[in-house]
Amino acid sequence: MVVYSFYIFDRHAECIYNRRWVPRPSSMIGKSSRPTSETSTTTNTLPPVLGHSARTTDDDAKLIFGTVFSLRNMVRKLGGEDDSFVTYRTSQYKLHYYETPTNIKFVMLTDLKSPSMRVALQQIYINLYVEYVVKNPLSPVEHPGGVGVNNELFEESLEQFVTRVLS
Amino acid sequence: MSATKASRIGEELWKTRIDKVNAELVTLTYGTIVAQLCQDYDSNYQEVNKQLDKMGYNIGMRLIEDFLAKSGVGRCSNFRETADMIAKVGFKIFLNISPTVTNWTSDNNQFSLVFDENPLADFVELPDDGRAQDELWFSNILCGVLRGALEMVQMQVDAHFVSDVLRGDDATEMRVSLVRYIEDEMPPEEE
Repeated sequence: MVVYSFYIFDRHAECIYNRRWVPRPSSMIGKSSRPTSETSTTTNTLPPVLGHSARTTDDDAKLIFGTVFSLRNMVRKLGGEDDSFVTYRTSQYKLHYYETPTNIKFVMLTDLKSPSMRVALQQIYINLYVEYVVKNPLSPVEHPGGVGVNNELFEESLEQFVTRVLS
Repeated sequence: MSATKASRIGEELWKTRIDKVNAELVTLTYGTIVAQLCQDYDSNYQEVNKQLDKMGYNIGMRLIEDFLAKSGVGRCSNFRETADMIAKVGFKIFLNISPTVTNWTSDNNQFSLVFDENPLADFVELPDDGRAQDELWFSNILCGVLRGALEMVQMQVDAHFVSDVLRGDDATEMRVSLVRYIEDEMPPEEE
C-alpha cells in the first residue's frame, strides 16, 4: 500500500502538521505537470476538484479539513453524538480519519488497497503525538502554524512508522 | 458509565500502564515551587494562588492528552460521568488517590471533590504569618489542572478550593462548576 499524505488539525481548526510522501496519485501527475502559475487560482471562486494543478499544500489542507469537518457533523446528525466516520474512498484514494476527544483530527490519505488505518492513526496519536509533541515541555501547548509539532523526534518517528510499519 | 466501572478502569490502569515515581520527590518538588512563589511574590498569597492555577492550567492542557492516550476512554455523556472519571481515573492514575465526589447541585452542574489524602501536602505546615492560613490555597495547582484538562475536552469549568485541612478545616474540598460546553471552532472565513 502507499501512503500519500498525512495531516493533523488542532481544535482551532488549524492544520498544525502536514506531510506528503508522494507527489500526487498517478492519474493526477499528468495534469499537474501542466505549467500554471500559483496566482491563477486566486481568481477562482471555488476550489476546483481534487487533483487540480495549481493548488498549494495549504489549500489541500483547507479542503481536507472542510471535508472531514462536514462529514463528521453529518455523521453525528444521522447516527448520534457518539458516531464517527472512519474512512471514505473515492476511485482514486482512501481517506482515513481519527479524532481524539480533545478534537485533534488525524487524517491520512492512502491508495485504495490499504486496509483500515484507524488503529494506525490512533497509534500515531498515542505513541508519537502525545509522547513527542505534547510531552515536550519546551514546545508550546498549542501550535499555531505548526510550531512545536515540527520537532525532529516526531518527524523521524512518523517517517519510520509510515515506511516500516505501514508498507 | 457507572462510578464502579470508572474505579475499575482507574485501578487497572494504575497497575498496568503507569510509571511510578517516588512520592517524596513529588511532594518536595511541588513544595519547592510553592515556597519559591511565596518568596517571589513577597507572600502575596492571592497572587501565589493565581500563579499556581495558571501553572496547573498549562499542565492540564497537556495531561489530558496523556490521560486519553493511556486510558483510551471516550467522551463522557454527562457531567456526572465526567466527575467520576476525574475522581476515579484521573486522580487515581496521576496521584494514586480517589477523592470523593459529593455535594451535587440539583441541576447536576456543580460538585465537590473531597480529598481524604493529598500527596502534594504531605509534611506541609502553612507559614505562621497570620495570613497564609486565610489566604493561601496550597494545592491550588490542582484547580488549574482540572480547568485546563476539561477545557481541552470542550468543557469550561470553574474550580476552586473551599476548605483545606492545612488551614485547620475538617476536610479538603474543591468545588467544580460547569460553566458551559464549548462549541466546535470553525475555520476562519475566507475572504
